[in-house]
Formats: sequence, C-alpha cells, structure tokens
Amino acid sequence: MMESTGMEIDRTEEELYPIAILIDELKHEDLSFRLNAITNLPTIALALGEERTRSELIPFLDESIDDDDEILLSLAEKLGEFVNYIGGPSYAHILLRPLENLAATEEQVVRDKAKSINKITDVMSEESVEQYLIPCIARLSQGEWFTSRSSAAGLYANAYKKSSSETQQQLLAGYERLCEDETPMARRAAATHLVKLIPNAPEYLETFSIKCFKKLAHDDQDSVRLLAVEPFIAIGQILVEKKAWKNLSGKKELFGEIIKLCQDKSWRVKYMAADKFIKATSDIASFQKQLILVAERLLSDTEAEVRGAACTQIVGLLELVSKQEDSDIKQFLIPIKGLADDSIPHVRSALAKHITGLCSIFGRESTMGELLPIFISLLKDQDPEVRLNLISSLGKVTEGIETISHSLLPAIIELAEDKQWRVRLAIIEYVPLLAQQLGVDFFNDKLVTLCMSWLGDPVYSVREAATANLKKLIDVFGIGWAKETIIPKILATSNHPNYLYRMTTVFAFKAIAPSITAQVVQDLILPCLEALTNDPIPNIRFNVAKCMWELVEKPKQSDESSQIQESFKTLLHKLEEDLDQDVRFFASDSLSKIENWQSSKNMMPLENE
Amino acid sequence: MVQSDLDRQIEQLRKCEIIAETEVKDLCDKAREIFIEESNVQRVDAPVTICGDIHGQFYDLMELFSVGGDCPDTSYLFMGDFVDRGFYSVETFLLLLALKVRYPDRITLIRGNHESRQITQVYGFYDECMRKYGSSNVWRYCCEVFDYLSLAAIIDDRVFCVHGGLSPAITSVDQIRTIDRKQEVPHEGAMCDLLWSDPEEIEKWGISPRGAGYLFGSEVTQNFLHLNGLNLIARAHQLVMEGYKLMFDNQCVTVWSAPNYCYRCGNVAAILELDENLKPSYKIFKAAQQEPRGMPAKKPAPDYFL
Repeated sequence: MMESTGMEIDRTEEELYPIAILIDELKHEDLSFRLNAITNLPTIALALGEERTRSELIPFLDESIDDDDEILLSLAEKLGEFVNYIGGPSYAHILLRPLENLAATEEQVVRDKAKSINKITDVMSEESVEQYLIPCIARLSQGEWFTSRSSAAGLYANAYKKSSSETQQQLLAGYERLCEDETPMARRAAATHLVKLIPNAPEYLETFSIKCFKKLAHDDQDSVRLLAVEPFIAIGQILVEKKAWKNLSGKKELFGEIIKLCQDKSWRVKYMAADKFIKATSDIASFQKQLILVAERLLSDTEAEVRGAACTQIVGLLELVSKQEDSDIKQFLIPIKGLADDSIPHVRSALAKHITGLCSIFGRESTMGELLPIFISLLKDQDPEVRLNLISSLGKVTEGIETISHSLLPAIIELAEDKQWRVRLAIIEYVPLLAQQLGVDFFNDKLVTLCMSWLGDPVYSVREAATANLKKLIDVFGIGWAKETIIPKILATSNHPNYLYRMTTVFAFKAIAPSITAQVVQDLILPCLEALTNDPIPNIRFNVAKCMWELVEKPKQSDESSQIQESFKTLLHKLEEDLDQDVRFFASDSLSKIENWQSSKNMMPLENE
Repeated sequence: MVQSDLDRQIEQLRKCEIIAETEVKDLCDKAREIFIEESNVQRVDAPVTICGDIHGQFYDLMELFSVGGDCPDTSYLFMGDFVDRGFYSVETFLLLLALKVRYPDRITLIRGNHESRQITQVYGFYDECMRKYGSSNVWRYCCEVFDYLSLAAIIDDRVFCVHGGLSPAITSVDQIRTIDRKQEVPHEGAMCDLLWSDPEEIEKWGISPRGAGYLFGSEVTQNFLHLNGLNLIARAHQLVMEGYKLMFDNQCVTVWSAPNYCYRCGNVAAILELDENLKPSYKIFKAAQQEPRGMPAKKPAPDYFL
C-alpha cells in the first residue's frame, strides 16, 4: 500500500540498500527526491565513511551546485553541520568550497544559510583559517556581484578572532571597503554585521570602528543610515568599558553624528534612533543638554512612528534628565500631555504602556499633581488598547492609586463589557494585580460582582479566564475570603439552565483546586458535584468525573482527604455504569488515577503533617 | 487504533501539524466504520453547537473553539465544507475527523458540496494533499471518507440541518433516508440538491445560478417543516457577512463559520448554540489574529518550492 516516496524512508533502517537509494536520489530528476536525499546527507556520509565523503561526496555536491534554490537552501544548512562526517576540524576547510559557491547565489535565503561557514570557522585551526578561509573571504569580498560581497560581510567577525594581527589589518581594510561598496545591498550587509566586528577589534576603535560608523551614518541611502544606530551603540559600549569617552579626541564629532541621526530627514532613520535612544545615549555623560533638546523634538516629531518609538524611551530619558543638575523634568510634561492627546491611537497606546514608570522619578507630589490627571485621561481614552495598556502597567504606580481608583473603576467596567472578547479577556488578566493594589475592601465593594459576571460571559475563553482569575484571587485574599464570597457564588451557577454555563461551575472547581483545602472540598464542593453527577447532559457528567481527580490531587491535604477520596470513588463507580461512553471513559480514567495516586501515597512515608 | 495514539494525533493536529500518511489511513478507516453506522439523516441530541463552512481556515477553527468551547466539552455539529480554499484543509479535516473517531457522540460531521472528488481537485484540497504528502494517497483516503458522511442531521426531532437546503424531489425526511449516499456527489437529484440548494425570497422553487441544486422559497420551507414536524432548517453553504442570517420568518437560518472568508472577504463568522431546550444563541467571531497564521512562513517553507 505504501508507495516508496522519499518521504517515508525509515531513518532507523540504516542498511546499505536505502543508502544506495539515497545516493541515486541525489541525482533524481524529481525535486522532492533530491530534497529528501539532501536531508539525509548525514546518513549517506556515515555510510560512505569520512574518506569517501571527502573525496567523493563533497566534490559531487560542489558540482551539483547549479540546482534548485530549495536544494541549495537545505544543502547550505546541512554542510554547516558536516564537520564530523568528513573527519573532524582538520578537514573542515573542505566544506568551504561548496559553501563559498552557495554564499554567492542569487537567492538571499540560501546566502543566509551559507553563513554556516561561521560554524565551520569556529572549529578550524588558526593555520587553516589563514590558509583557506581568508582567501575565501577575499574572493567573496571582491566578487563581481553584490550577492557574494554581502555574504562576505557576515564572515569577517568570526574570521577576525582567529587571525594573526597582520591578517586582522587586512580584514579591517577589506571591511572598510565593503562599507563604501557601490551597491546599497552590500553596504547594508556591512552595516548589519559591523555590530559583531566592533567588539572583536576594540584596539582599532578610532581607526576602524568609528571610521566605518561615520561612513555609514553619512550614506546617501536612508536604509543604510538607519543601520548605523546599532554600531554606534556597540562603539559606545566599548568606550564605556575602556572608560575612554572623556579622552576620545573626536568625541564632539562622534556625538554630533548621533544627534544628526536623530534629526535625519528620513523618518525611518529617526525611528531607529528614537527606538534605541536610551541605549545609544545613556553612556554619553557630558553632552546631555543637547540630547535633551533632541529627545524633546523626537517626542513631538511629525511622524507618528517616531513619536511612538520615542514613547518607549520615556522612562530612561527622564531618568537621565533628572540626574542633570540644571534640567527640570517638568519641561517634559508639555510634550507628554501632547502625546496623551495624540491623534494616532498607537502613539497614545505606547505612552500608556510606559508612562506609569515615571511615578518613581516624579515623586509623590508631582505624581499626584501632574501625572495622575494624564493617567485619568488615558483611562478614558476611546481606544480600548490605550486603557488596557495603562491598567496593565498600574503596578508601577507607587503613589496615589486611591486617587485614581474612582476613574479606574468605570474604565475597568467599560473594558469588561467591551464587545471585543479579547479585550474582556485581557482585562481579566490584570484583575489579580489590581486586587493586590486596591485591597480587599475596595475589591469586595466594587469588583467581586464583575469577576463573577465573567463566569457567565457568552464566550468560552472568557469564562475559562474568569475561572483562572478566581484562583489567583484566592491566592491574594485567602481561603477564608473565598469561602465567604466567591465559592457560594460559584455554587449558585450550577443551576444555570444552559449546560455550557453549568460546565463553567465544574471548570471553576478545577481551576481553584490548587488553592483550596480538602475541607472546602468536603463541605462546599462535594454536595454540588454529587448533584451534578446526575446532570441530564453527558458533557457535564464526564467533566465532573475529570474534575474529581483534580480535586483529589491538587488541594492541600488534610484529615478530610481520605473521606473525600472514598466519596468520589463511590460516585465514579456509579458513573462507570453511565449510558454515555465518554462518561464511562473519563470516570474510569479518574478512578484509576485516584487509585494509583492512593497506592503511591500509601507507600510513601507521611509527609509534613 | 490505540486511544493514546489517537490522543497524540489530536494534540499534534491541534498545533496544525500533519500526521503521518499511515496514520491518516488508519484514521480514515476507523472514521468510515463510524460513519457507515450513521443514518443519512443523523439523529443528534441537544444541546449542540451548530457550525457552517470552515474551508480549511484552521486558525479560524481554533478561534471557533475558543468562542464555543473545546470538543468534547462542547458538542458540535459541522454542516460540511471543511476543505478547499483555505491554507490548511488537510489539518482542518483530519482534526475534525480525529475528534469524530475519539468522541463519536460529541461531534457530528455532515457532507458539504466540497466533500467531493471533483470539487476538491479544483478548489485546493487535492493540491494541498500533494504538496504536504507528496502523493495523492491522503486525498484518496479522505475522499473515501467523504462518501460515507451523512447528508443531514436532525436535532431532537425539531431542527433539520443540511449543508445546502431542500430538494423538489424530497417532501419528507424519510425520503432522504432511502438515498444510497455512498457515492460521489451526483450532478443532479435529491442528494445533489441537499448539498447545493440555497434559500431565496420566493415562494416555491427557482433555478439556481450555481448550476446545481435549486432555489427554495418560503412556502416550500414552511410545508417541509410542517409535514415533518420540524421548527427550523439550519444550513450553511452561503457567505453571510454578519455570520448568520435568518429567513422565512425565522424558519431557516444560514450559519457561516469562516471569518474573513478566503482571507479577504472581511466578513465575521457565527456559530449557533442550541441549549438543552433548543433555545438558540448566536456567537459571532472574527478571524484569528495575524501572528499565528504568520508563523509557518518563518521557517523557510519547503512546500512553497515543492
């Protein structure tokens, strides 16, 4: 019946016959067969042995390089893991030839995978790096097409580590040429990989890294300039490590470059600079005055993307500002207020997510006076995501949470009734956090009813989240509170005329099981479950059966435990005789789980109590 | 088939990963054994949640389960058109099939016009099987299962569920029971009509622009319901922008469960929950968020080149 398509070859059957098939398949005219053979290259190599893999298989693969991109992609990936099949690191250079060809192909995904040369570099000896890899990189760097030159850029960092200082000089010179390549594609690759090369060559910071960075930052293509931000960060890190900022001769100039990037004419470059602003500038101790101005401008940029990115940096930024002696963080209140009224929802949304982090910087008085009004306006935002983001970060509000609670409540209620069920789901997840902050009285007053109403939500996932929420609330407020408030309310839902909502009762028991005691199970839950074993709907009955096991295993054990187990077993035995096969299955399943659990408990010495 | 194997396959399919071809064969064999026992008009007990076309939109099916609840906790009835058009017909149909084999009393599958050899060769399921398995075997196994699917279902003797609609050749439900359904969907006749017809604001019958089945009107609907002691016809088959649409004085409803149909129609989808007293409530849902669907593209997808 089974056709012997390549897909189904059993990899465990490493006999010679399948190997012969695989080798034939490498030459097969059907693409899927060749592809399969490539995936199984390690098997072929093992069968051939190291010697023949080196002398026959690798040259063969090299010759067949003019093939479908899909094959080349797989091949590039496999060759990177091939060192062990050709006789270990001392032969690793043999793999360079086919990979070098792959690194020059037109298809970018293939070239990306051909960077597995780096994996091989890691195991090569320094001599063979000099002998084989460096010439390979040189060839690629001078290749006729940009494809090979962009691939080359990714190979320098690893090769550099394993080269003599003389070769290192050559490599840096070669890399500099890539940074001014005639094609933006190669320059982009050079900019991307510069980040990895900079930390490897700290001694050439000024003569190489900063020089390359400047070239890239001055590029006429914005797609290259925006990639200059990351190298700048890498340079800054080295300067900090070497404590060399102060003594750097061209520091003013270098610093001017990042300012320029922040004010670039292309919004994409500004976006990149804004998005990484703190990382890029927090180490520059002495120039902050000017930076503050630039930052203020980014916060009120004409481009929404830039403003949004700047919002994510706001906490770090104001921290920096607050450390400046003659600066006032309050000067930022005006742009922040502007952002809170921004016409673009995602900008407000980004602000709402980060603004609460400012409380600790502003201190009690300013928080109450200046920030809380902004929080309140964000809590009333027309976009639910803005409200959600603020609520989700309320944990960082250190002062005056009582003051905003009167605005918080309507915001929560409105989100809880949002017509998008994902919004309702999201707000539920923040409730335990709010519970902790607002305290039990406020919660009992205002939020308990809401939490219970989610159990009756029309959407299943919301009901499910509501049950998980109850568990977290018990963890916050304790079992005593639960017995008084929520458990009676859960019990009341077991009379709902619709089975889907009675199901929620059972799910709620299952969810809170780890946070309750055996006593609670005995006194409150058992009678309800017993009644539900007679529910007319089988779906309820088999969920009751599943739930019983959870209620044996999860709650904190006590004197009542064994009694509960016996009661459950009696009920489960009855359910094993049910007319519905699923009920019978899950009843037996729970029963055997309980019995196994009991016997393993009995064999163990008594724990704790 | 061992139950734990089946449970594992269900877990795998829930992650939108295909199962091995040999496993598909076993699953289809097992499913056929179950379907062969089912009547042309399968009896279903309320409560049950009724769903319309899915069309291989796997992640939207997951969204459906998020809204309606997981199978087997919630009982489901799917009114056909599981495959074609979407990107994941294989995973979608096999998951539904695996659930059917694992929990035959909790899920009911009836046949849609796309559960056919001819249609699936044109609208994508065949190509998808070839791409994902490298041969047409899986498609063949599935098509054999299609032939055994029930043509309709009746919930608590009151709600008649069918993919398309009524046929002029059928006046009583018993006539449907006499059809020999184990065949490819024919081009005409009662079996074809049940899977192809559409309701229309007319009184009697009309010619269907689809070239198969008929347009059926309010009077024929009322007569059919009355004669068979029914309250409602639930059917799928037609895109409804609002997810569901009631017609003929609430005697006929179209339920459509493929949100943003073909990933571009911009419609919402619906399911119809009937509780134990047949009280209806409609749940609307939108297409799944973009991320999960974007995932497969992240690993270089060999199937694109195959």
